[in-house]
Amino acid sequence: MARRYFRLLSAQLRIAGLASLQYRADFYADGAMSIFWLAVNVAPLLVVYQRRPTLAHWTLPEALLVIGWFTLLKGVLDGAVNPCLTAIVEHIRKGTLDFVLLKPADAQFLVSTAKILPWRGVDVLGGGLVLVFALTRLHRLPTPLQIGASLLLFAAAVGLLYSLWILAISVAFWVVKLDNLAFLFSSIFDAARWPIGVFRGLWRFLFTFVVPLAILTTYPAMALLGTLTFRTGAWALAGAAFFALLARWVWTIALLHYTSASS
Amino acid sequence: MIEVDALVKHYTVHRRPPGLWPALRSVLRRPTETVEAVAGISFSIAPGERVGFLGPNGAGKTTTLKVLSGLLHPTSGRAQVAGMTPWRREPAFLRQITLVMGQKQQLLWDLPPSETFELNRALYEIPRAQYAETLSELTRLLDLGRIAAVPTRQLSLGERMKCELCAALLHRPAVLFLDEPTIGLDVSMQAALRAFVRAYNERFGATVLLTSHYMDDVIALCPRVIVIDHGRLIHDGKLADLVHTLRPEKRVAVRLSRPVDGRDLEGFGRVAERAEDRVVFQIPQAEVKDRVGRLFAQLPVADLTIEDPPLEEIMRDIFAAGRVA
Amino acid sequence: MATAPAEIPSRTALGRAVRALPTLLRVGVAEAVAYRAEFVIWLLTTTMPLVMLALWSEVAREGGPIGGYTGKDFTAYFLAAFIVRQLTGVWVAWDMNREIREGLISMRLLRPVHPLAAYGAENLAVLPMRLLLSLPIALVALALTGGAAVTRDPLLLLAFAVAVAGAWLLGFAIMSAIGALAFFIESTLAVADVWFGLFFILSGYFVPIELFPAAVRNVAVLLPFRAMLGLPVELLIGRLGHGAALHGLLIEWAWVAAAWAIAVAVFQAGARRYSAYGA
Repeated sequence: MARRYFRLLSAQLRIAGLASLQYRADFYADGAMSIFWLAVNVAPLLVVYQRRPTLAHWTLPEALLVIGWFTLLKGVLDGAVNPCLTAIVEHIRKGTLDFVLLKPADAQFLVSTAKILPWRGVDVLGGGLVLVFALTRLHRLPTPLQIGASLLLFAAAVGLLYSLWILAISVAFWVVKLDNLAFLFSSIFDAARWPIGVFRGLWRFLFTFVVPLAILTTYPAMALLGTLTFRTGAWALAGAAFFALLARWVWTIALLHYTSASS
Repeated sequence: MIEVDALVKHYTVHRRPPGLWPALRSVLRRPTETVEAVAGISFSIAPGERVGFLGPNGAGKTTTLKVLSGLLHPTSGRAQVAGMTPWRREPAFLRQITLVMGQKQQLLWDLPPSETFELNRALYEIPRAQYAETLSELTRLLDLGRIAAVPTRQLSLGERMKCELCAALLHRPAVLFLDEPTIGLDVSMQAALRAFVRAYNERFGATVLLTSHYMDDVIALCPRVIVIDHGRLIHDGKLADLVHTLRPEKRVAVRLSRPVDGRDLEGFGRVAERAEDRVVFQIPQAEVKDRVGRLFAQLPVADLTIEDPPLEEIMRDIFAAGRVA
Repeated sequence: MATAPAEIPSRTALGRAVRALPTLLRVGVAEAVAYRAEFVIWLLTTTMPLVMLALWSEVAREGGPIGGYTGKDFTAYFLAAFIVRQLTGVWVAWDMNREIREGLISMRLLRPVHPLAAYGAENLAVLPMRLLLSLPIALVALALTGGAAVTRDPLLLLAFAVAVAGAWLLGFAIMSAIGALAFFIESTLAVADVWFGLFFILSGYFVPIELFPAAVRNVAVLLPFRAMLGLPVELLIGRLGHGAALHGLLIEWAWVAAAWAIAVAVFQAGARRYSAYGA
């Protein structure tokens, strides 16, 4: 089973890569965009730190760590997640999702590996550079354990992002006119550029439990800083696992709805 | 191969009268109404049969095809395709069937069709040797030549349809569901596709269920037709019998040796056509013998022929009736 | 709702558009209602100012006012920003991009109403519905955060109304121009993305313009972005004097004129090209 899906994955990725090669000019455009967006992401931060030494006990280089993870994740989001989201909305609108459902393989797997934009890897590179820059400014070399923990949490963040995305997709089965679904997704995700500590009350609750942005960027950054407790890290992993199960469940229901109501 | 028993499919649709006030009211509560797309149909198709599925727009053809291919859950009723229940969508079932839709395509738009073929090979886990053999055979039957290597977006509609068929048949399905496969194609391409479907059916013994708007498709391909209207089955049998079921009347055409008065033509049956020296009567099957005798006796008959009403005319009537309703 | 009588002859495209407006508006409202789920999603995407509100109030609470903004001022600013976004947000670039790509634009080109006018009416038509949903959100937020200052100066309120109208016209013209680029190039949505990136930073969407360093601020005031959000917001919460308000409005309406000239030119050129080459 696992081997079969591994083979399928490589077949899907090969096709997706070939398709993206058709639009080679995008590579340069995306590279330029990546730098532009990095500037956009950092600008509000600079406005704050121009007037304050710390924000919710985070110094500028520490907050840059969050921005670094944010940029990395954004690369994954724009390169692998959003293209699939757009593709499936298109499938539903045109009715060609039927072809996906007729294939003898898991439909969730098929729709989520159908499209990638490898060019967006530039963002991943940019995010990495920001992380290195922030760590040099902090004069800090994380221990292998801390690096391992932050990578593990980042993996959980990617999984979480993917689960949130599947949940969003499932909405698309009910609501067809969804040009702005990707837009909603990125605008919520935007709040993840700030350390979670700056939010209080309702927002803190919302961004920790409902749309767990804290897990996405703040926790990996804290892991690099060595300030994340083992307990919080474990909870973050459990949260990611919970969202994965939830997403799978909602997806199954959405598919059932699609096959029992659509025409 | 296909068993359908009392299949019913209802949809819930939102209804809203036009106007601003109903629009605002529907924010809170949407009036819904149930549409009976398929209202209890039963039939059974043997392996290797080619069956045409006819009916006006909205009769429930596509819905039935989607239920049979596992894309829709029926409201009630039973269906078995290749011994399995379609909507459980077991991989073993999906490997046995294929669905080709004339208005939708599975080919990847930016890449040559050959890449879609490759992808389907991986998806259906077709062994390489079998894949190569099927592909070369399909390439020959469809006369694909080199078009499989050209990006899909540069192909003509007909070429694309050929490649669609190839992509859909690589796993050698035992059951083919074809939904309007020739729509929008020119006459020679339609003929080529028909010839291919027949050849594939004969070569691999596959079962074919086909819907089409073109009578020619059905006449050329399907010895048996199933006609549904408003979700109900109104005919199942030979194409020739369709005429008797739907229009149990004969056309009796009479050539007269001299003109007659209109009143003299009464009492033989409905007058369908009338010209200077020619009259066509519609006469119920059972009465034909008796009426024809009387015709010879009472009218100056120079020539008389008895024939079935043309199929196109019947279908046109059915389709027109469906559109009005 | 009465439709203007059809028999009044009017040869100008504008006259026809104006007469068709009530019907187009009614259809637009009905459509907005029909796609209510889409509407809620759209509403959610526009709550970003509320996130910024939470953020900046917290910053002000933690270390005192920033650049003359207290926590309460930030609340007022971002609530006003939320309302202004509701009033002035348009999505015509996406609609136009898709319709041009799929050839649906032909239908619009065949109608006797200028497509830009029709798009405009569709975008205006959702405003009542948006306000219906977003005003309660703003009021609740206002109550939760303990009130905020809205200007009592009638001149500034008038200026606010003029600025919102200008902001809508400006945003619509620019989005139309970007959308109409689809007649010429493939990646119009990438252009829209860049526009939004600049807009987020320079309009006062993330940060009030006043908090920028002087050099950036002086440039930002001259650009169209601030006219689309920051200007009406600052007018509503009374942060501008009469002179600065007039100055801002002049810049805004100069941009409105320029943007419309560009939008109409791009659309006409595109439509000509489209009818010459086909879809």
